[in-house]
Amino acid sequence: MSDSVFLIVKSILSWVNSFFVVYLIGYSTFLFLSVVIGSSELYKRRRQDKLKNTLFKNYYVPISIIVPAYNEALAVVSTVESLLDLDYKLYEIIVVDDGSKDDTSGELIAAFDMHPIRRPIQRKIECQPDEFVYEAICEKVPLTLIRKKNGGRADALNMGINACKYPYFICIGAGSVLPQDSLSRIIRPVLEHQNVVAVGGVVRPANGVTIEHGRAIKYKLPRNLLACMQVLEYDRSFLASRILFDKFGGSLLISGTFGLFKKDAVIAAGGYDTSTMGEDMELIVKLHEYCTLNDIPYCVKYATDAVCWSRVPENLRDLCRQRKRCHLGLFQSVWKHRRMLFDPKYGAVSFVSFLCFLIYVLLSPFIEILGAVSIVASFFTGLLNIRSLIMIFAVYTVFGCVLTMTAFFARMQTVDLKVRATDALRAILICFIEVTFFRFIMLFIRSTAFFGYKKKKLTQENKRKIGV
Amino acid sequence: MNVEILVYAYFEICLAMIAFNIASALAFKMNDPKLSKKSDGFSKTVLRQLESGEADDRHRKYLRKKLRHINYLMELDGILDGLFDEKPDEVRRYVETLSPVFVYLTLEYSKKNQLQAAYYPYIIKKYRLFTGTKISAVVDMLTHMVQNSSLYCRENALQALYNIGDVGSVVNALKLLDGSGYYHNPKMITDGLLEFTGDREKLDFRLWACFDEFNIPMQLAFMDYFRFESGCHTEKMLEVMTDKSADLDLRLAAIRYFAKHSYGPAREALYSFACDTSPEWEYRAIAATALANYPAPKTERILRDLLFDRNWYVRYNAADSLERLGVEYDELVDIFEGGDRYASDMLRYRFDRKKLGGEVTV
Repeated sequence: MSDSVFLIVKSILSWVNSFFVVYLIGYSTFLFLSVVIGSSELYKRRRQDKLKNTLFKNYYVPISIIVPAYNEALAVVSTVESLLDLDYKLYEIIVVDDGSKDDTSGELIAAFDMHPIRRPIQRKIECQPDEFVYEAICEKVPLTLIRKKNGGRADALNMGINACKYPYFICIGAGSVLPQDSLSRIIRPVLEHQNVVAVGGVVRPANGVTIEHGRAIKYKLPRNLLACMQVLEYDRSFLASRILFDKFGGSLLISGTFGLFKKDAVIAAGGYDTSTMGEDMELIVKLHEYCTLNDIPYCVKYATDAVCWSRVPENLRDLCRQRKRCHLGLFQSVWKHRRMLFDPKYGAVSFVSFLCFLIYVLLSPFIEILGAVSIVASFFTGLLNIRSLIMIFAVYTVFGCVLTMTAFFARMQTVDLKVRATDALRAILICFIEVTFFRFIMLFIRSTAFFGYKKKKLTQENKRKIGV
Repeated sequence: MNVEILVYAYFEICLAMIAFNIASALAFKMNDPKLSKKSDGFSKTVLRQLESGEADDRHRKYLRKKLRHINYLMELDGILDGLFDEKPDEVRRYVETLSPVFVYLTLEYSKKNQLQAAYYPYIIKKYRLFTGTKISAVVDMLTHMVQNSSLYCRENALQALYNIGDVGSVVNALKLLDGSGYYHNPKMITDGLLEFTGDREKLDFRLWACFDEFNIPMQLAFMDYFRFESGCHTEKMLEVMTDKSADLDLRLAAIRYFAKHSYGPAREALYSFACDTSPEWEYRAIAATALANYPAPKTERILRDLLFDRNWYVRYNAADSLERLGVEYDELVDIFEGGDRYASDMLRYRFDRKKLGGEVTV
């Protein structure tokens, strides 16, 4: 290699290394800000609750709960039972069986003595046709089952929106459990603020938690290492970016497992997009875009105390599928709404939320792989100061762990969950494994999502099997 | 060198975060009043006094000093709350004798930050401290609080005022709230007014008297309150409903009123709304629901016509009303067997639903 080529390579590597350091600083600062703001917000909320700075009455804003179900014969009955047990005066449950191959509908019909009915459903949003409708009048809650032709989760949700009769709807995953007070908590931002079009709830891994009548009566970290690491990851992500983005109305993601939406706004925006895998994120981005372009005052809020318990995958295969789908969905949403980026009309949503998602979530696997490659190349070209490198990574690791632990304990201290000392120690240990090991596995999985997609095109079936 | 500075900076942030975690954990334990020894002494004093029946001057003096601190007020709330189910009469008698203490505390809590200030009206409401007694210092403080930027201060203050039950204070507070520019959900106003403990007739009269002074969202809250409260507002409601210059939402609220409270003179106006051909389908839709309360051959005829309306909600409500009016299948057979699928589907659903509602419970 001639000297001039070597110099060019060296200068490129030097540039890449500088970029990587700036990237890490940016990410760490973002994480730091979001965890500090998130923790202080949780403590403030707890203090508010103690001092009765809260709406302690139920104002009974009617809510429709939509449960899309595909091959959920085993879980659907218990999910509906837990929903019937909610402590809320006015709500309905609509289960949409998305053409299951198992007996999802049969299980429901038998368990709740449901009866066929010819119910006209207004198609305000396009969706696959229904095959039959069953209804039951429970003691306090109307329950509807709609069996429709298979069309994917987004299509099932669109059918649910068409059929629901109340002004706000919640979509939850079959297999999730809502605590009894979850509806009164998630509706609060609607009463507290004007023009709320969507409210995100908190999804917490149910693995290891003993839940009775929707209430977590015993909390411990799951035995399964993978699930345990996801507990820490969920706490960090729900605490971190979501509360930070909520501060300036820039939330870009409401989990499909537990989110509340204003029906009219969703219908006006066109409902869930059936062509993307990340329909949940796409809907929120679409709501931002629709309301901004049409000069409609709106806000998207995040309810830190509205919790939904949901099981997370305990094996790597399921986790891979879930994360690949999420990453592809994110890519599709960002690509579809790319015109929002750097558009002053969208304000902080464009310049902060959208940009953060793009750089620190969507592109992060590639940027970090580029960083790793540049380290190896720098080593061979003598550009690397090993001592500095080790120091940077050591501090970066400790930094990540401390922030994750802050998020974990802030969450525990503010939701009245008692953590045993052994669990606290385990959390600290697993935190290191999560930051040094699990995080890189996730990066690898996310980076391969695109390749897998091109080769195999994750099928519609995969889409629905994996609940997020 | 630069890298090392950066590393040290982050290292310090790590240490600061660890310190933050430990400090917050400790703060949580120390903030728990039940853990403090001082708090134990306070509880014993309160319980001893409560046993004796009512608070004497010495005890009131003691409470005046202690309850200036929010932690003691929370502690007192905890004690009374815990005992209420067990000894409701004793607690009530004890609380009644505490009124002078809370009058004194009014000034103290008006100086506190929003978070702590909001707790004071909550206690007034919870223990019905001044129900039926208008004490100007307390009412003035609560009225002032209604203009606070904190939603919880406003709502707790309103709740306390509803509980005190003075008409003038409530109407004045609502006027101030309406003029403050802060968003206060109309549903909360409606529900709050329904909890008013004073003379409702007088309250209703005052609300109607100054109805036009309020903005539309507040007027809508009042309309809903009147609807849930009683059927004594028919004449005023008819005026609003037939006033063509009135806001659409107000007129719709008036139609809803007549859906709940039947009133003969409103019948013709409801018919004309149901037959209205303007683009505002909402009039037809809500009038179709209201007509279920006005049985007559003309009502049935109009509702049958509405089954063929171009709007889905109008058809749905008309089918619902026909079913509620008890119209039998035989009388509607021409629609069931007719060529309009929308109309027959809607009717069939309502009739099936009625059958289902009667026999299925889980």
